Order: sequence, then structure tokens, then C-alpha cells
Amino acid sequence: MRSSEKKQVEESKKAASNGAVVSDINGVPSVPDSAREDISNATSESEDEDWHNSSSDNDGDSSSISDNTDESSDEDDEDTKAINEAMLDYMGALEERRQREALGSEEEEPRSARTEVESDSSEDEVVPSRNTIGNVPLHWYKDEQHIGYDLAGKKIKKKEKQDQIDSFLAHTDGSKSWRKIYDEYNDEEVELTKEEVDMIRRIRAGRIPHAEVNAYEPYVDWFDWDGKGHPLSNAPEPKRRFIPSKWEAKKVVKLVRAIRNGWIKLDKPKEKPKFYLLWGDDLKATEKTANGLTYIPPPKPKLPGHEESYNPPVEYIPTQEEINSYALMYEEDRPKFIPQGFQSLRQVPAYSEFIKERFERCLDLYLCPRSRKKRIDIDPESLIPKLPKPKDLQPFPNICYLEYHGHTGPVVSIAVDPSGMWLASGSMDQTVRLWEVQTARCCRVWSLDGPVRHIAWNPRKDLGILAISLQSKVLLLDLELGTSDPDEVSKLLALNPSVMDNDGDGALVTWMKHENLKALEVKHSQEVLSITWHHKGDYFTSVAPDANTRAVLVHQLSKQQTQNPFRKLQGRVVTAMFHPSRPFLFVATKMHVRVYNLVKQQLSKKLMTGLHEITSMAIHSKGDNLIVGSKEGKICWFDMDLSTQPYKTIKNHHEDIQAVAFHTAYPLFASCADDSTVHVFHGMVYNDLLQNPLIVPLKILHGHSKTGGRGILDCCFHSNQPWLFSAGADSVIKLFCD
Amino acid sequence: MAKERKKLKKKEGNAAKYTTRNKALNRLQIKLPEFRRLCILKGIHPREPKKKFEGSHKTYYHVKDINFLAHEPLLETGRALKVYKKKIKKAQAKKNWSLVTRLEANKPSYSLDHLVKERYPSFIDALRDLDDPLTMLHLFATFPAEASYKIPAETVNNCRRLSLEWQAYVARTHCLRKTFISVKGIYYQADVAGQKITWLTPHVLSQVVPNDIDIRVMLTFVEFYETLVGFVNFKLYHSLGLKYPPILDSKLEAEAAELYAVMRDLGKEAHEASEKEKDSNDFNSLSDTDTNHAQEPVNTESRLAESRARLASLQDRLSKMAKPEGNEKLLGVTDDDENMEEDENEDDDTRQCKALFKDLKFFLGREVPRESLLLLIRAFGGVASWAGDNAPFEESDEDITHQIVDRPTQGHIFLSREYVQPQWVYDCVNNRLLLPTIDYLLGRVPPPHLSPFVDNEKEGYVPEYAETLKRLQTAKEGKVLPLPGEEGSKDTEQFLESVVANRTESMEELRKTQKQAILEKTYQEELTKEIAGIPFSGSIQTMDRDEVDGEHVVEKEAYSHPETMDEEPPSAIAKAMMPRKARKLYAAMQIGKQKKQAEIDLLKERKRKSERKQNKKVGEI
Repeated sequence: MRSSEKKQVEESKKAASNGAVVSDINGVPSVPDSAREDISNATSESEDEDWHNSSSDNDGDSSSISDNTDESSDEDDEDTKAINEAMLDYMGALEERRQREALGSEEEEPRSARTEVESDSSEDEVVPSRNTIGNVPLHWYKDEQHIGYDLAGKKIKKKEKQDQIDSFLAHTDGSKSWRKIYDEYNDEEVELTKEEVDMIRRIRAGRIPHAEVNAYEPYVDWFDWDGKGHPLSNAPEPKRRFIPSKWEAKKVVKLVRAIRNGWIKLDKPKEKPKFYLLWGDDLKATEKTANGLTYIPPPKPKLPGHEESYNPPVEYIPTQEEINSYALMYEEDRPKFIPQGFQSLRQVPAYSEFIKERFERCLDLYLCPRSRKKRIDIDPESLIPKLPKPKDLQPFPNICYLEYHGHTGPVVSIAVDPSGMWLASGSMDQTVRLWEVQTARCCRVWSLDGPVRHIAWNPRKDLGILAISLQSKVLLLDLELGTSDPDEVSKLLALNPSVMDNDGDGALVTWMKHENLKALEVKHSQEVLSITWHHKGDYFTSVAPDANTRAVLVHQLSKQQTQNPFRKLQGRVVTAMFHPSRPFLFVATKMHVRVYNLVKQQLSKKLMTGLHEITSMAIHSKGDNLIVGSKEGKICWFDMDLSTQPYKTIKNHHEDIQAVAFHTAYPLFASCADDSTVHVFHGMVYNDLLQNPLIVPLKILHGHSKTGGRGILDCCFHSNQPWLFSAGADSVIKLFCD
Repeated sequence: MAKERKKLKKKEGNAAKYTTRNKALNRLQIKLPEFRRLCILKGIHPREPKKKFEGSHKTYYHVKDINFLAHEPLLETGRALKVYKKKIKKAQAKKNWSLVTRLEANKPSYSLDHLVKERYPSFIDALRDLDDPLTMLHLFATFPAEASYKIPAETVNNCRRLSLEWQAYVARTHCLRKTFISVKGIYYQADVAGQKITWLTPHVLSQVVPNDIDIRVMLTFVEFYETLVGFVNFKLYHSLGLKYPPILDSKLEAEAAELYAVMRDLGKEAHEASEKEKDSNDFNSLSDTDTNHAQEPVNTESRLAESRARLASLQDRLSKMAKPEGNEKLLGVTDDDENMEEDENEDDDTRQCKALFKDLKFFLGREVPRESLLLLIRAFGGVASWAGDNAPFEESDEDITHQIVDRPTQGHIFLSREYVQPQWVYDCVNNRLLLPTIDYLLGRVPPPHLSPFVDNEKEGYVPEYAETLKRLQTAKEGKVLPLPGEEGSKDTEQFLESVVANRTESMEELRKTQKQAILEKTYQEELTKEIAGIPFSGSIQTMDRDEVDGEHVVEKEAYSHPETMDEEPPSAIAKAMMPRKARKLYAAMQIGKQKKQAEIDLLKERKRKSERKQNKKVGEI
């Protein structure tokens, strides 16, 4: 029905556009009425007339409407032109009128009817004009005598052209001349009627051409809807409408089953309370999880400190320079949080990292492997072993009591007389001095022909012989002390004639008499660095590290004989020592200490020190314990009964240890090093074999100054007092007393 | 033959105990996201085997953990849900809308209740791990429920509700202990059943969810935390004899006075519970009508006035009954018996907290963080109101003692009250005393806000203001504690005893006593100054200098004494006797100590610089 309505509207529109025809003919404006009436009256006669209709008119007609709409925009500019155009457009209508006049009045009725039909149909046919050439360019007839052909096929002659003056006069004179239009197509002048002019004016104004037409007439629904089904069908109801559907029944069965089985729940389930009392009243924490593993609670994040405050104390806010300096740091060292201060709470912005931090915490919670770590929350001081107080272990050297001045070069070696009255010292200034211990008086000075390397006092109290190593020589010097027996000493130091005979190239050493001093000289092939006496005072060893297989030699003073106990030596020998009571020889090489049984002539033990470079060694007076000093500043204490590994390693010095020493009577030992300190220890060895030695550090003695990169070069204990002598590179010897 | 024999499965050792993540996935027949979700919900985390038999770059889980997961009903539920989702999708594709709606309506749901019980078999366990859940819920409560972030609005609402319920509990039981405004947010620490629970709430500003986080992980956590905190809240409310969940006053909630809304409901419920027992008590019935009035949405001015009048009469009556509890009444928590019981159970700390803001009435300005302050004031026994409809009392109330503002200037000023910045409340709470408001007044830069979580003595650096606060505290305690003279004598006695016992200990004791003496001295000075009428803040500076000098003298004296005995510390030699391991450990500890010392030195240096700068400025002026 909508489409029918539309059609009507269109009809009326079309009628309006072709309205000129209608109004001219019967003056009845209401188009639709006549149209309806004439639907059935359409005759064949009118149709053959339609046949002649040229499309040109039709075109002109439709274009007049479109032109009008176009013109409305720029009408005012081209006034006259528009009028002309409109007039030309209207030409069709004029022609029609003229034609009708020609045909006669009897045809009036059917014609009007025919036009109505035409307007209804899609192909508009307009009454043919005088000229029948159709829609062809007029310039084709420009040079011809005629302008076209009339209905009868006769040529229509061109009219004679009017004189210009005449035409002008006609134009100006006649009051109706403005209505006259020249129709080029039909070559004639047409005079417009009043109505036509009016119509043109309306068209120009963009209104409907006919004053009588009301464009907004109330809509009348002509179709009578009552009792008429749509679409109209008269078919009887099919049978299927009366049979219950099989598929529907199946579906119902399915649904019923689903409802019965509870697959479909019709009413909403009762809402259980979301939360209830989950836990009882026991307030005991559980350690185990449900799967039997221990529960490791997530570590709690660190609680915020003052620096995180929105208004921290001034000292917590870093300066701009400090913040800039963070950029230069490694990323891991950079502080994660830079404190900021705000004047008031309202100025605090949202923390942009908040969500990120929470997210990272979430990741930590489920991605990080958790394990229980025992945190050592101990006081660092508790790590320091609890030792007996030094106070209780007195006496031990404590304070510097005396200084022995006189040497001009670093004092390399010192030795105390077995009686404890004298102190001998050898120095790089090529002298050996003898001091009275108690008074610090220098009794004698021996000037020698080379820097002294090492000195060792003969352990026999009645001899007073000092062994001095001078480069490749070993001097056995008679000190001529009052206590010694001069006859025995001179006898010992007299050159044995048998030795003289034995002198040859193959000999290990050469025994000879010293030219100036009352001394015996043992000449080695290489520089001798250390000399040690056997406890009985007859044998002594000399170590010349560079002498390869002859590095360690054992000399017998009474027979003035020398023997090389080793055919081969492993490593560079540092020092060699006799066991204080048994026939053993300790040989310290760079990293190990080897103990040789001199009777069986075999290696009895190899002590693994674990040190990089041994510098010195000392043996306890009982012979079962041994200390070794090294260049790393470590002392190793070996308990030979225990194992070949050190019983205790003490790292006490920063620099090379130069010497270590045991006290013969007191449970003391000491080490001196290039860092100008002497460390004094209590080293108690028990007779009970089950009890391990007790080692207690007692005192760090300072006092020497460092000279030429070296500190204290030697230290030794007094033979029967708890005193300690130290010889420094600053050419001073100091005595520390308790 | 031997070669063909099947390789036996290991029965002991790391390889038998642990499995890698990929193996676990194969065993459980699930994809990684689902595995991740299950791990989060079940609280399963990787463990570190002693020997990483498959390489150090892999994640190892305990076999028992994985077996535990394999027996989890959620695993099956997850699969069923997946199938169900497929059904819906299929129906959608076939445009079977009725089926889609039906399926959607009957979607199977699952609950995490059993997981809560499993992970936290006792209530204490749950409380112990409550830090993270609370922080997370408080964060999610502030989230924008935007579709672009994929955060369901329901979750946000639920988080908000749960966090408010928790806060209401904390406020009601007065178990809040410490609080701290940091740049990150506001920290709170409560003491519930002997467990210290610390949580962090973001500042009330809109959150922007960054792109580089996986919100699904967080949502899974939140899902579990919601259940956990729900049950914890239930248990806590149950222990108070309250109904859970409390019904929120919708109007108040709409006004963003959520905490108040919850609290109000609590008050009402507590009352109703008691009402059944005691109907005859006119005190109860009075308050009942009162609270009911408050509950009614049509709460006109006249009614308010009426209730106020009733309150006044109630308070009169209470004072006659010699029950110093004025503040609870306003909340409607007027149950006599319950309070009595509570009092018995309460420890000193709670009592102290409860009484801190007693008889104080606060009014909060528009610009201050209302929720946080309401929680604090309630938890410490105060009464608070705010600007807005349905507020308990108006700004023009005569009884208001403090108005909390955070703006440069205040238009109309009531002379009867003090205008303080919010930090004052926080500092008061942390120090358990009402600080002098002079430094916190409107428009001033407040003194530094210090963290209550730091043990200054242990850190080795005491900020200046901390000392001031300590002095104030001792001054306050001085009124209650035995006289300073007695205390001193006791200390000296102890000192004499300890001299015999241990020298180092005695040293500390000595220092302590001397410090005490100084504190006492300053206290005396303060008193005299107070009498003389010198304003407090001015005197702080001079006193500080005095005290610092005094301390220096003391330390010198203390140290000079033992050094004559032994000029060298015995430990220096004993260090040589340490085994290598101990020595290295000791050295490492020393490095740590040095670092700490360096930090302290830096702080001191900065402090000195800033002081110098200030002095210069003062000099210029």
C-alpha cells in the first residue's frame, strides 16, 4: 500500500508538470480526479496520435522543471536570459495549443482524456508541432529555403526576414510586443497569454506553475481495507496445520528429560551464603602444608624508612648533584628510590610505580623459588675466638725497655749468648757487635770484609764461639769472653792439619784460619744465608741456597770436617735445623719442610705447609712442635705428633715475615715482619699428648720504623728471661721486657 | 640383556624429588596460563633443589606440589568450564540465541573456599599472610573499572567493600598501631590476634594501569585474595558477635563516606544483638531509637536536633554512671556489656590507643584524605565529621576541637577550634600523644614526618625531630611514671651490679643512665621554661645544642675510663686466631658496617650543610 501511495504522489506531480495542457484545455485543475475517471476511457484513437509525439517536446518539458530549480540559485544575475529560456521551454505548450486550434473543437474531449493517459504512462508524448523535423539541430536547415515539413509532408517555407527598423518599431510601438516571442523552430512569432506569463513568473519564483494546485492537500486513503486479508488468498488451510508436529514433540521430550535429569534448571538455585565460619577457635600456627611440605611463608617486604616519607627530614633528600651522580653509577648500584619532599600533603602526586611494584611482588610470589635461608644474625665480635686474657699469661715481652744504638746499617741478625749476658748482632754495615744485654753497652766491634748475613751463637756456655756467615764464608769467631775456657776454644779454632792435606778441588768447603781475627774460616762455593748449631755445639749446618746439591752442609767443628748429607734436594732450601734432642734434621724448602732421620739416613716426614714461600722456621725446645713463617705473613704451627698438616695457621702480618722464634724456657713464640711489628704469642705445649697446644696471641710490639721498605729483620728471645730482642732495618736493636 | 632393560626411575635424590616446569605441564596436561593460575590459587611456588639436575636455567617444582595440583578439583572444573565455553561459542555461531542465553544463565561456577582452608589451616596462618592481600585489595579498590583494562567492575566493587569492612573492623577494635604517609601511599599497621599486619593504600588519586604488566596475573591473585579476606573478615566479625556481611547504608555510600556507612551498620547490629538480651535497660532502648533515627533516610534537621539532645542527655547519664566512653555513643556502639568484656580482654596498648583522641571532635576539610583520616580518628577513639550531606555534625558545631585542613588559607575561622594539617593526626597516632599543634597549624610547613617502622637507635642515626618527639614522650610519661629521682637511684644500683658482671654492659648502662640524667635535666629546664612562658618551638633549637654537647662530654668520660686499663683492644690480636671462614665473614660484616656508617655519615653531612645554609640565611636577614 505504501507503493500505491507513492505512485499517486508521483502522478500528481507529473500532472502538475504537464498541467499547462490540462488547464488550457478544460480549465479544470484537479488532475487526479480526471485521471481516475479516464483509466477505463483510454481509447485506441488517442494512442495512434500518441505515436506521432516527438520526444523533443517531452524533453523540453522535463528540462523546464529542472532548469527552474537550477535557476533559483542565480536567477537575479541573468534576468532576461532566464525569461527567454523559460519562454523557449514553454514552446512545446504553445505549439500544442496551436495544433489543437487547428484540429478543431470536436476533438476536445478525447484529447484531454488522452493527455491524462499520457501523463500516466512513462513515455511522455506531446502533440506534434507545425514543424515535424523532430529533435534535430536547426542549423541543418540554415541554408535551406524551408525550415521543415508540416504534418502533410509539405515544406514549410521560411518567412521573409523583417526589416530591422520595422522590427524595432514593432517592438517599441506595440504595447503587447514584450509578450511576443520568436519561435525559431516553427519560424513564427508567438504571443503569450496573460496566464502563460503568470505561469512563467511562478516557475521563475520556484513555485508550482498553476496557482490552483495545492501541493499539500490532506492525504486521503482511497483504498478500503476493511475485511480484506493481505495478501489476499483464498486457499484452504492445509492439513499439516491440524497435525501436531513430530519434531516439536521430540524437542519437548528432550527438554523434559533435561529438566528431569537436572541439566536444565528452571528456578534459580538458592544462594548459599558466600562466606561462613571457616576456622575454628584454635589459634595455633601450622608449619606443614596440606601436601606435607614445610610451609615457607613469603618474605615480607621491607618496611619503609624515613626516606620514604612524603615529608622526610632534610638530610634524607639528596641534592641535585647527588641525583645527577646516580646516572653515572652502574644500574645495580643505583638507588631504587629517590626520596622527595613535599611541603604539604595535598601536593603529593600519585605514585606512578605503585601498580608496577605490586605486579612485581605478585611475580615474586608465584615465580620465585622459595627456600629457607638461615640468616646469620650474629654479633661480629662473637666471631672473634674467646681466648684467655693476655693478662693471665704473663710474663711476656710488653714494653720496649732498652735500645741498642751503634750500627749504621740494617741489623740483619742477632743472637743471644746461652748464659743470657751478651747479645751479638750482625749488620749490613759489615760489622758484628757484641752488646751487654743489661746495660745496652757495645763491648766490642768487629769490622769484617763484607755484609753479615746471619750469626749464630754456639750453644755451649763454656765456649763463646759465634758463627757468622759472610757472603760465601762462615766465620767461627772466638769472642774471648771471660766466661769461656780459652784453651779449649783456641784448640778448637786451630786449624786441623789433616784438613790442610785434604784440600782439593773436589772438596765441599775449605777450612782455613782467618788472617786478622782469632777465627776459623769455612769457605763455601756460594753465599751462605743461614747457620744453625746442633744443641751439643759440635755440629752446625750451613745453607747456601744457590749451591744446588750442596745447599745444605753439615760441619763438625771438633774434626773440622764437612759432609753433604743429601745427594739431591727438592726445591730451593731456605733454612735447615737440628732437632733439639734427637738425630733429626729439618730442611725447609720453598713450600715444604722435610724431616730427615740422620741415623737411618732417610726422609721421615714431609710437612705440608700450604704456604707460598717459607722464609723462616723455629723449633720448640721439646722438638715436637715447629713454626714456620712465610712471605704471606702467615705462621704455621705444626704439631709433629698430630699430622703433617699445620695444627694452626695464623695470618697476622700484612707483609713478609722475616723471622720466627721460640723461647727456650717460657711458652712464648714471636714473629717479626716487614710491617715493623713483632707479634708475641703464648704457645703452651702440654706433656699430655692428648691435649693440643694452646696458642694465644698476646701482644703486638711496635717501635721500629720502616727503612728502605724493610721493617724488622730478626728477633730472638732472651735465653732465660721472658725478654725479646728485635733487630730492625732502622739499625736499632730493641729489648722488650715484661 | 642388561642394555635392553628399562631404565629404572629414580627413587631418591633431587631427580626424584623435583621436576621441571615443562615436565609438570606434561604431567598435568594443561597449558602454561592455566598452570600459572592454578599455582597462584594453590600457593605453589618453585623450590630450589640442592642440585639442579636439568640445568640452572630451569624452574623446578617439588614433585609433591605437582601431585597436589593433579588432585585439585579446580583442574577438572577448569576443563569443564572450557568445554562449556565452547558450547556457548558454538550456539552463538549457529545463532541459537535461546540456547546461548540459557547456557549463559546456567554457567557453572566454582569457589575457592577449600583452597583458603587448605592453604591456611588455622586462622593465625591466614592473618600472618594478610599483608599482600590487603595491599592488593586496597589497590584494586581504587582501580578504574574500564573495559580497556579488562578489570571487571564487580571485582573493583568487591575489593572496595572488603577493604572497607576490614577498615571498619580495625577502627572498631582499636587495633591500629602505626601509620605512615609515604610517597608511595599510606602505610598502616594493625595488631590483630598478636599478628602485626601491615598494608599499604595508594593515595586517593586515579591509577593509570601501565601497559607492561599482565593484569590477568594480578586478577588471579585478587580472586584468591577476595575469598581469603572475605573469610577473614567473617571470622573477625563473628568474633565480635556481628553479622557478616554488614549492610551498607546506601545513601552514605553514595556520598563516598563508605567507612562511615559500614561502621554505622556495625553499630546497629551490635546493638541489636545486645537488645535481645537486655530489653529492660532504658539506656539501650534510648540509644536504639537514636540509631534508628540515624538509619532512616529521611533524616531531617529537626530529628537530628532531637537525637543530639538525646545524646546530650545520654552523655549526662553516662557521666553519672562514671563510664568514660563518650565517643562510641555517636557511632551507636552503645553496648555496655560488650564493652565491659572488651575492656577485660584489652591490653594496655589498645587502651592507650582507644583513649588517644578521646573527647576530641574533628572536622575534616574537603581537601584532606577523608577515608584515611576517618579510619585513624575512629581507631583512636575520636569523632569526626566532614563537609557534605549526611555528615554526623556540621562544620559550625561548637564542640569541634580540631579542624583538619590542608589549604594555604582558611576563609572563616572558628576561634574555638584548632586548624591543623593532616600530618598532625598521623604523628599523634605514631607517638601516642597529642602533640602541640603549633608546628602543624594552617599554612605552615609541618615538621618532618618520620617513619614509625624505623628503630632509630639500631639504625645509628636519630633525626632531630625524633629526638624532640622522644623528649615530649618522656615528658608525658614523667607524669605517670615514678619520680625521676627514684628512677635514677635504681639505675645506679643496677650499674653497680653490672660493673661486676661485665664491663661492656656496664658501659652501656653508664651511658644510659647519663643520658637519662640529661633527659631529666632537659625536662626540668623545659618545665621552668614553660613556667616562664617561652614558646616551645623556639626553645627546641637551643635545647638540642645543649643536649648534643652534653652527650659528647658523657661519651668522652665513658670512654676515657676503660682505655687506661688496656690501651689496645684485645680483639685486634685475637682476630689473627680466627679461622679463615670466620675471618672472611667478619670482614664482610665489617664492610656492611662501613656501608651503614657511610650512609649515616652522608646523612650527617647533609644535615650539617642544610644547617649551615639556614644559618647563613638567618645571618643575611
